[in-house]
Amino acid sequence: MNLPRALLLILPVAALLPAQTYDLVLKGGHVIDSANGIDRVIDIAVSGNRIARVATDIPSAQARKTVNVSGLYVTPGLVDIHAHVYVGGRLNALFPDDTALTAGATTVVDAGISGWRTFDDFKRTIIDKSKTRVLAFLNIVGHGMGGAKLENNVEDMDPVATAKKVKQYPDLIVGIKTAHFGLPGWDALKRAVEAGRLCDKPVLVDSSILSNTKRSTREKVLDIMRPGDIHSHTYNDRQLELLDRFSGKVQPYMLEARKRGVLFDLGHGGGSFLWPVAARAMREGFPPDIISTDSHPSSYMLPQVTMPNCISKLMALGMQLSDAIRRSTEAPARAIHRYPELGTLGEGRVADIAVFKLQHGTFALKDSWNAKLLATRQLECVLTIRNGELVYDLDGLAFPLWSTAGDYEVIR
Amino acid sequence: MNRVFPLLLLLVQHGDTQEPQIYDLLLKNGQVIDPANKRNGRFDVAVVGNKIARVGQNLPAAHARVVVNAEQYYVTPGLIDIHTHFDWQGADLNLQPDHNSLTNGVTTAVDAGSSGWKNFEAFKTRVIDSSKTRLLAFLNIVGAGMYGGNVEDDVNEMDAEAAAKMVLKYPRILVGIKTAHFQPPTWDAVDRAVKAAELSKSVAMVDFHPKPGRDYPELILKHMRAGDIHTHVFGRLIPQLDSDKKVQPYMFEARKRGVLFDVGHGSGSFWFRIAVPAIRQGFLPDTISTDIHKNSIMLPRANMITTMSKFLNIGMTLNQVIERSTVNPAKAIRRPDLGTLSEGVIADIAVLELRKGEFGFLDSGHGKLVGDKKLNCVLTVRDGQVVWDTEGLTATDWTRAGPYSNFK
Repeated sequence: MNLPRALLLILPVAALLPAQTYDLVLKGGHVIDSANGIDRVIDIAVSGNRIARVATDIPSAQARKTVNVSGLYVTPGLVDIHAHVYVGGRLNALFPDDTALTAGATTVVDAGISGWRTFDDFKRTIIDKSKTRVLAFLNIVGHGMGGAKLENNVEDMDPVATAKKVKQYPDLIVGIKTAHFGLPGWDALKRAVEAGRLCDKPVLVDSSILSNTKRSTREKVLDIMRPGDIHSHTYNDRQLELLDRFSGKVQPYMLEARKRGVLFDLGHGGGSFLWPVAARAMREGFPPDIISTDSHPSSYMLPQVTMPNCISKLMALGMQLSDAIRRSTEAPARAIHRYPELGTLGEGRVADIAVFKLQHGTFALKDSWNAKLLATRQLECVLTIRNGELVYDLDGLAFPLWSTAGDYEVIR
Repeated sequence: MNRVFPLLLLLVQHGDTQEPQIYDLLLKNGQVIDPANKRNGRFDVAVVGNKIARVGQNLPAAHARVVVNAEQYYVTPGLIDIHTHFDWQGADLNLQPDHNSLTNGVTTAVDAGSSGWKNFEAFKTRVIDSSKTRLLAFLNIVGAGMYGGNVEDDVNEMDAEAAAKMVLKYPRILVGIKTAHFQPPTWDAVDRAVKAAELSKSVAMVDFHPKPGRDYPELILKHMRAGDIHTHVFGRLIPQLDSDKKVQPYMFEARKRGVLFDVGHGSGSFWFRIAVPAIRQGFLPDTISTDIHKNSIMLPRANMITTMSKFLNIGMTLNQVIERSTVNPAKAIRRPDLGTLSEGVIADIAVLELRKGEFGFLDSGHGKLVGDKKLNCVLTVRDGQVVWDTEGLTATDWTRAGPYSNFK
């Protein structure tokens, strides 16, 4: 029997089922799904690994399990396009599941720890074994990240071999990364762009502009990067001359670059989020297009860079929650050419969902220099669904009381 | 004469007033819970270098480089989790120690038998030596540890002499012998683990599945020695309770003999329907530990601070919970230098917040207990260094930090 005919047999039966049509209903939450223009209280039903229905008042009777999420925010699973999860590569990284899924990020993109020579190992050891959807920017350096000696070796920056590897895994590799290039000139960035051109993918750029590199921000964002390429570390003043150092105004070439389609990504990390830069840029109307963490073992500790933490920081500087969620879901999904597959709660999409509590109080948010800003709101992930499976539930919202559940086995 | 006189004056002055000590870090006015020193009250804790310099009252803030107002918090010795799995480079289910321990106030974690004598040194090189967390280990009685297939049931792999020799070679890291997952219905694994512990003058930690001909009372009354630790005490496979949910008399008898009972929460070994009645009848665990690994960290949230919160909400006092997460595990692994804020010891400190509200907690079967208290670790000091600080207690407000830039 071929598949379409099988579906014809099944569908009418499913439509006639009187009850428990859905595996899970999230009831009463405030849904933020920018792609569908939703920013209000509405229910979400999941069947299998898909979003089955988004509607007001989906009856609990139709669900095997109902989770009351009233008072909470429900968003598409966050997409963190700048993470470091190739544990076992040459740069220190974090396993994705216990760090990303607990923060509502259901998709993380490893930003260039692997290159074309090491990607297969990354895939085998981490991508294939993680519950988190793990994607990759492939480093233009064949050996990937691993210190100045490897990363300054222009000989190992092969656009053809890199593009070939991207084409071998079009579902996993979303683009090219260049980073940490310590020699003068544009070799690394130009080769990354060339690889991006060969495989029609964006380049994620980390590139410092110290005077001895003979590189300028203007040339980088106007002449070399293409529309759709992404500059990370937007608020790192050693990577981009975003603000005029005398007037504090946004440089005209940054506005022009944005206009021509170059994207700017947060990439917080251990060195790239400075309150003086971020506060001024936000005041001057230059928010990052995309919110991402650049999380790794040291940025995870004192600066606590998870996605909700980065969102809280931008909210403290005036960004609206719904706008911050858009820049953490739909915007990154589009940037890596994976929209609308990712970054939305549209019916029929994979059920990657995050639920957040917006806490009110006094919170110390620390930048990469361990300087703090006292904020009055902080976003906390309380529940995560990945591929239809409930993988994280901080307060046990989805589970019954032990005292009334009898001699239960593991409750799913 | 003229030269000698000022010198004498100087000497006299020096003798009169004690030279003030400069503290690198001063935790002011926290509620200090340090059961090892029977302390539970408001104290200041001063750190110099990587050591606890003073614990006292009214220590001068002016003498400290960094002062933390700890008034709202509990200050405890760095927590000790004696059942963890942190060989993240060696074993699939293992997690990375630092961000899973230090964020929870855990400054000492003991890997519970991931490695055996054949591969412990590789584990040490690839993980232990580069962890910020003090990582110690129980050595698996199985030479190959927990890494390979059916090897854990292979008695020929259990060489007590070789295991003991390895423990004696690394006495500052290896605290004892672990046996786990052994399925054949014999006593071989337990007896060899205890034998290896005996030979190395260390402790055996036992994970045990009762079988016909190998029952639990016999384990804790005969095969284990005083000081040996039964982990997973609130697991489903262990007959701690009778059919009326009464704690079996042999549990108390074994405790009287000196056998220790450890939590080892994990993905299968902590059930409210066992722990709640046991604790209400006065059978508290001796040590609280997590058995943290990839399958227990997510849904049951079996990290240290959440596990401690579960016991708090079952009805244990905060002092009882801290005792079982600091001094008790330190004693169990025979490291009296740990789990205490005594002056002169390495400065491993946790600063904890006790939140009030409504919180849900899951057991290994995902049954929920709703409680009104939750512990949260706000600051961790490891080896004198602040490694975790969620409230920015040691951070400067950015508006007062002066101009800073990555160019400087």
